[in-house]
Amino acid sequence: MFKEIQNWFDERIELTKTIEEFNGERIPRRGGWAYTFGSLLAFLFTVQVVTGIFLLFYYVPYFPIARNATYFIKYHVVFGNVLLGIHLWGAFTMIFFILIHMARVYFSGAYKKPRELQWIAGMVLFSIVVILGLTGYMLVGNENSWWTINVLTNVASHTPFIGGFIRIIARGGTETSVLTMQHIFAVHVWLLPGIVMLFIPIHLFLIRKTGHQGMALEYKNSKLSDDDPNKWRHPDATVPFFPDQFYKDMIVALGVFAIVYILAVVIGAPIGPMYRPLALNFAPEGDWYFLANEELLKYFPGHGLIIFPTFLIPSIGFGLLFVLPFIDRTHERSPFKRPAATVLGILFLLVLVYLTLMGGEPKAPATV
Amino acid sequence: MAKSSEESSSRRTFMMVIIGLISSIIGVALTIPVLGVVLSPLFRKRDIVWTKLGKFSDLEIKPLAPKFIPVYFKVKEGWSVNTLPRQVIVVKTIGGKFLFFSNQCTHLGCPIHWVPARQKFLCPCHGGMFNALGEVVGGPPPRPLYKWVHKIENDAVYIQNKFIDNPKDRGI
Repeated sequence: MFKEIQNWFDERIELTKTIEEFNGERIPRRGGWAYTFGSLLAFLFTVQVVTGIFLLFYYVPYFPIARNATYFIKYHVVFGNVLLGIHLWGAFTMIFFILIHMARVYFSGAYKKPRELQWIAGMVLFSIVVILGLTGYMLVGNENSWWTINVLTNVASHTPFIGGFIRIIARGGTETSVLTMQHIFAVHVWLLPGIVMLFIPIHLFLIRKTGHQGMALEYKNSKLSDDDPNKWRHPDATVPFFPDQFYKDMIVALGVFAIVYILAVVIGAPIGPMYRPLALNFAPEGDWYFLANEELLKYFPGHGLIIFPTFLIPSIGFGLLFVLPFIDRTHERSPFKRPAATVLGILFLLVLVYLTLMGGEPKAPATV
Repeated sequence: MAKSSEESSSRRTFMMVIIGLISSIIGVALTIPVLGVVLSPLFRKRDIVWTKLGKFSDLEIKPLAPKFIPVYFKVKEGWSVNTLPRQVIVVKTIGGKFLFFSNQCTHLGCPIHWVPARQKFLCPCHGGMFNALGEVVGGPPPRPLYKWVHKIENDAVYIQNKFIDNPKDRGI
């Protein structure tokens, strides 16, 4: 019976052959576990989409009712707290593992020719996921959301020349209003996930086009020099994607999902206080991935310098990351053979961790 | 029968030009209304209203002891009329002059509060500090506190949802 169904499809669209072609992709063998982050992120994104769709059954993008809707989901919808928790912790986990994924790619030089476009597609995905996180934070509709909208649109307003326009467009008007929530909602739920769904296939297609090139340790037996592009096409040993690599992907996915699930059930998603625009004792706080930039905002006093933390440093930082493959055009891949890049990368991560920790310090208390 | 692109290279060019043209026409025709919808907020004027804050004679405060008074602006926003609750910080100077500040930090708009022990306004977000006269005394704020546009008529104080000396319409 099963065989007949399979034959029916094979006669028409060669289904078995297609699946085998897809699954038979050769993956470098030694670094298997290090290559699981990409598929882990695809998995986490799928979880975000699924949980997000069903949160929409109850959510209303309207200040301040949005916070009531979130509250309702958490406390009155059956397993709503779990769904909301998975959406929140899944988002945090996703941003965290994008950073790990990027660091892995950076330190193993995997962005180098011929894989520059993959890095750029990945950077697009990274930028969008961060914006998805920030907009999601705003949609909760609590007090933090309100101030985050105000602070971030004010940050954007310091972009040279068009800053004021950006702020008005982002807010959907001159004030933070009902239209602001509607705009953020549309961006978070339709626009950005759409772009992510477009770029994930591009990212994957590019991997298949350039071939699966692994870390330097895959090429120990190769006698070719690092400058020879052929070297990187022929790892010492490979395994098929299915089941060898997929098996590892699944184990990692389960492990991470278990952590997300436990966090969702045990800690859950904090709803935070209702928004009180007249509150005098409230210290807004960003999500952990924004704290580094938040901390930067404190360092540049005065009128002339405010453009540094609001526009120049973030945009130059992201810009440099985007064009990284075109700045670093050497062919060595091992982190030990390119100490400058490795040291710079470690320093960058240390600065990021330091700023995040400093930004997470308790804020000035309401009364001193 | 028309020639195929493989039979005539000029036919091929012609087809490619037509394909390009059609894509451009559809693209432009779709982009114009989409751009209009996205940029629409730029063409709307801020709804500026006068709102009564209270009686002037009730403002019996000590000099340099700020008083926070809420004000509720009813303004049109998109398709609805909304109430924007905002804080007015009233400060009486030593000379007896009244100043009407906003409680929005001039750095990035967080709500400042008065710390009596230090005689300063503190911003909880990035550590901005202002003295009772609204001048920056510490932290990153680029300018002194915003002052509301106000007028005093027949013993009543009116506030407008607009700041004095704020050409870029920041804050609010």
